[in-house]
Amino acid sequence: MDHRSGELGIITRGSLLEGMEMKLNPNRSVEDIKAGKFVVIEGEKHLFFSMITDVRLEVTNPQILTHPPSRENTLLRQVLSGTSTYATVILRPMLALERVENSHLINPTPQPVKTIPTHFALVYEADEEDVSRIFGREALDRKYFNIGKPLDMDTPVCLNLDRFVERSNGIFGKTGTGKTFLTRLVLSGLIKNEKAVNIIFDTHNEYGWGAMKETGGNRQDFVKGLKQIFGNRVAIFTLDPDSSRRRKVQADHEVLIGYDQIAVEDVIPLQDELSLHPTAMEAAYSIWARYKNDWLDTLLERGEEDIQALADELRTHPESLAALYRKLRRFRAFKFLIPKTSEDIIQKIMEYIDKGIHIVLEFGKESSMLCYLLVANIITRRIHELYVKRTEEYLATQNPANRPKQLVITIEEAHKFLNPRASKQTIFGTIARELRKYYVSLLVVDQRPSGIDDEILSQIGTKIIALLDDEKDIQAVLTGVSNPTGLRSVLASLDSKQQALILGHAVPMPIVIRSRDYDEQFYKDMGFLTEKEREEKVAADIEALFG
Amino acid sequence: MKETHIAEVIESNTTEMIAQCRDLHCSPPFGSFVKVKPTSTSVEGAGFLIYGLVFNVMTNSIEPNRRAVAYGKTEEELRNEQPQIFELLKTEFQAHLVGYQDQTGIKQILPSQPPRIHSFVYTCSLEEVREFTRQSDYLHTLFTISRVPPDELIIATIRNSLEAHAEDAHQYLIQVGKELSRLLREDYDRLSSILRRIAP
Repeated sequence: MDHRSGELGIITRGSLLEGMEMKLNPNRSVEDIKAGKFVVIEGEKHLFFSMITDVRLEVTNPQILTHPPSRENTLLRQVLSGTSTYATVILRPMLALERVENSHLINPTPQPVKTIPTHFALVYEADEEDVSRIFGREALDRKYFNIGKPLDMDTPVCLNLDRFVERSNGIFGKTGTGKTFLTRLVLSGLIKNEKAVNIIFDTHNEYGWGAMKETGGNRQDFVKGLKQIFGNRVAIFTLDPDSSRRRKVQADHEVLIGYDQIAVEDVIPLQDELSLHPTAMEAAYSIWARYKNDWLDTLLERGEEDIQALADELRTHPESLAALYRKLRRFRAFKFLIPKTSEDIIQKIMEYIDKGIHIVLEFGKESSMLCYLLVANIITRRIHELYVKRTEEYLATQNPANRPKQLVITIEEAHKFLNPRASKQTIFGTIARELRKYYVSLLVVDQRPSGIDDEILSQIGTKIIALLDDEKDIQAVLTGVSNPTGLRSVLASLDSKQQALILGHAVPMPIVIRSRDYDEQFYKDMGFLTEKEREEKVAADIEALFG
Repeated sequence: MKETHIAEVIESNTTEMIAQCRDLHCSPPFGSFVKVKPTSTSVEGAGFLIYGLVFNVMTNSIEPNRRAVAYGKTEEELRNEQPQIFELLKTEFQAHLVGYQDQTGIKQILPSQPPRIHSFVYTCSLEEVREFTRQSDYLHTLFTISRVPPDELIIATIRNSLEAHAEDAHQYLIQVGKELSRLLREDYDRLSSILRRIAP
């Protein structure tokens, strides 16, 4: 520890609340100091792992500001630099490691910061050993998954996937900042290390099969989807088989939902999309009270000519019933909704889940928000019901074989499900709130976190945040984070590509990363086989099977 | 080669000394470094090599009670007609003691004993100047001299020592400048005026 290099400066003042202030070494250029950089303060008894949150120019004498040196006067500029004019850097200690007295050994468990370093403690750039000591290494344990690298460094930062799946998580960032790539990375980690089974509601058809990469300019690159990388460990379900075929995607299963599988609770979250009046919802309940599972079928069947009779029969207001019918009539246009189905799609999904196969649900060209909300709600609500049942069985028997597989549901445009109004009514709000009690958690992907209910945001375990501009969004993602001031400036200064701030349950301290490249090397690391390798493997398998 | 002395100490105290030049008008320049060699190594407490900085040069009559008078002639005419009057004049300089050298090296602190009277004074070579000015701690004592404008003395000193740092003159100026900037923290205008004037 005595041989650290890369000295940045010394601590001059600070407080536990506001963070530490470091005077930058005169031989360091302030332009090399980036917000979000990972640094180490060497205190007397502790090492403080910290993040740079702010950089400031200072002068000792205000007179200098009134008569700044002219451009020609380089000597004066150079003389002043580092003595009368200098830079201070604000650091936020995030973790402390105790240094064992009279020895170079270090107590290896990082602690929360409860004190601050002494005056003139030296500050260094963190080295590779520090990063792996704090964030773990993939080689150590399957729970670690390399998600990217710290700024200006070459060591992987790992997510602790065990902790990651324990809570609901969020990936935020404005459009075009690489949310989808980050999500794909995280999902790949979960699939590869078998930490959870995933259901991905894929509105834009980006996860299952190849997707376009936003490179800017005219060049267009395609990247592989999860199905291509993980083969038969991932199944593609589609709502729109025609679209899948056109995109040359081999869908494993077509999703058909019968009217009898739609409950009134599935329609409630669509209030905004359908601009339904609360009285219309009451009408829906009154049909349900009488016809139970056939309520929607009955409404759509009799709505056209017979609405008055139906209203009389139910003793409800004909106007609100008619309004309900007019709105729900749109369901007929959805090809995947049919009056009766021969097989239960939820059963099918559960079969896959039981086998540990991950499901990407493609929407094809059925990408309207209405369709997305409806399908996601129907499926998630019923799967959640089954999971609750299974969990109860498991609790009753306490037999490890009955333990449900941890399930992660990925939803995009999450603010549609989790806005303050909807989150009280949709199943997603319930899942986000009840944590891992029933082995189901959410992976929320959204570009407008301020639209999500505060209560839900504060329950989100790990947040992976790409660039956000809007002050409201920044404030929203930092809900439930202690001392958010420093992180705010870090968030606003992220690059618009491939950079993200990770904080929360799955990382010991917040850190800015340059996300891992999603390229050939990544496919290989994930176990992807090229055409040739696959042929060889198939040949070997056939050999093994038929002798 | 044996060095020849340029002057001889005729008065000294803890902080400064007065030396009389060997030849009339042959004083070392204002703001230059001089050294006083110990009179004899065998004498106990004869001291170390002492460094001084010339801050005042004066030429006057040998007799304290008599002043030179104006003749209205050029120096050349005077030398031809009345050469004796030059014998009645002397050139002296005052030097501030800025440090000494013992077995361990150069120290920029006052010597424990001032130079002895009648010690010889020599000019410092470029190497010696370079060695001595490697550190700039001596600068702050120059601000305490009240008989000459300290800024002028500092400018002259730095300009004189620049030659010794010909190889890295700019780096040297930055180093000295930073020291001055620390000393003149409250006075930015003075600092920028000094820096403007020392730039070659």
